[in-house]
Amino acid sequence: MPSYDSHKLSHIHHELHAVLPSEPALRTKALESLLTEKGLLNAAAIDAWIEMYRDEIGPKRGACVVARAWTDPAFKQRLLADATAAIGEFGFAGHATGHLEAVENTLGVHNLVVCTLCSCYPFSLLGMSPAWYKSNEYRARAVRDPRGVLKEFGVELDDKTEVRVWDSTSERRYLVLPQRPDGVDDWEEAALARLVTRNAMIGTERDLSPKQKGV
Amino acid sequence: MDGMHDLGGREGFGAIRNKDDGEPFHADWEARSFGIIQSSAGAKGWSIDWFRHCRELIEPVDYLSRPYFDQWMTTGAAQMIDEGYLTLDEIRDGASNFDPRPGRPAATVDESRASVANPRSFAMQVAAPPRFATGDFVRCALSGHTGHTRLPGYVRGRRGVVHARHGGHVFPDASARGERRGEHLYTIGFAAADLWPEAKSSRDRVFLDLWESYLEPA
Repeated sequence: MPSYDSHKLSHIHHELHAVLPSEPALRTKALESLLTEKGLLNAAAIDAWIEMYRDEIGPKRGACVVARAWTDPAFKQRLLADATAAIGEFGFAGHATGHLEAVENTLGVHNLVVCTLCSCYPFSLLGMSPAWYKSNEYRARAVRDPRGVLKEFGVELDDKTEVRVWDSTSERRYLVLPQRPDGVDDWEEAALARLVTRNAMIGTERDLSPKQKGV
Repeated sequence: MDGMHDLGGREGFGAIRNKDDGEPFHADWEARSFGIIQSSAGAKGWSIDWFRHCRELIEPVDYLSRPYFDQWMTTGAAQMIDEGYLTLDEIRDGASNFDPRPGRPAATVDESRASVANPRSFAMQVAAPPRFATGDFVRCALSGHTGHTRLPGYVRGRRGVVHARHGGHVFPDASARGERRGEHLYTIGFAAADLWPEAKSSRDRVFLDLWESYLEPA
């Protein structure tokens, strides 16, 4: 059983700093081979987790959900009312999406999602989080200088547009529902889904029009 | 805890790099670390809150400078040492010197796949009625405590509005100590102008999910 003792864990980390190799790849290798020798790992389960998040689950899932919300008003209502149940219609509910909320971008509102305390993210819907989302820079700045952060991502907002930043401090997770771009009125749902990016569903991209993306 | 992990609003950080990079893993060891920690996450007494706390306790300089998945791996090893499945001597020697009995069973393939497909609920019944209603003004506690908490430093002592109520949820501060109990959870909206001196004329807002004991009427 865990000790739940903060001081003990601090001490262990301090010692680990001293005994482990200084290169991350070597640190991991040293620990993996020791844990394997001690019979504490299941190689097939490790491979399964890697396959799921490298090959199977990614932002295409979220893009399908957004495109459906753009084309089916009743689905959009369900998504905004209970996003976990709505993505469950696609079979996408799962890891870290048990309490999902969709926040909608409009003409006057732009939403941006961050986790300042760690790296919370709706994994079963958007796949592995991008490295920048987990970076110290993004975590520190998104709540304090969201417009500066957005500008770095190429999103310029006027003062009439309100920025809403969602800091994922609980097991509730957020999906940004981007605005449907202009000029795609006759597009099929599948084609619309191809316009939707991971960054747009986190909130670091806003204009998904095909012209903007050079499609 | 007032740890290095509590990064919201800290100044001096530079530009965000690799903004178009969406690769899940950038090296084999990153993928291995992810798989190892995810498949070992179900050990007796394990909780996401205790895991987060153990990561927060990484040496501050390492927390800021070491790669993300490397921190997972080190945190997982620290937990196994804490629980007695692994020793620092073994790491120093690079060889096992005892077989833990009973072992610390890793998840199977089926359990791993089932866990990714399970939208796990953290909702918990709370006997007491919620103390706050939507639209109420609240003020966050001025101090945290030395254990795990999800009340970030940048909202402590600040006034916000109850934006939504979510019923009872597992209370992470207790869960990280091995106690499972629920507390009412709220989404609180803060005016950026009330958080940051340079945002005095801003209409922007920041929303956080906060538990009832973090809040007082304001």
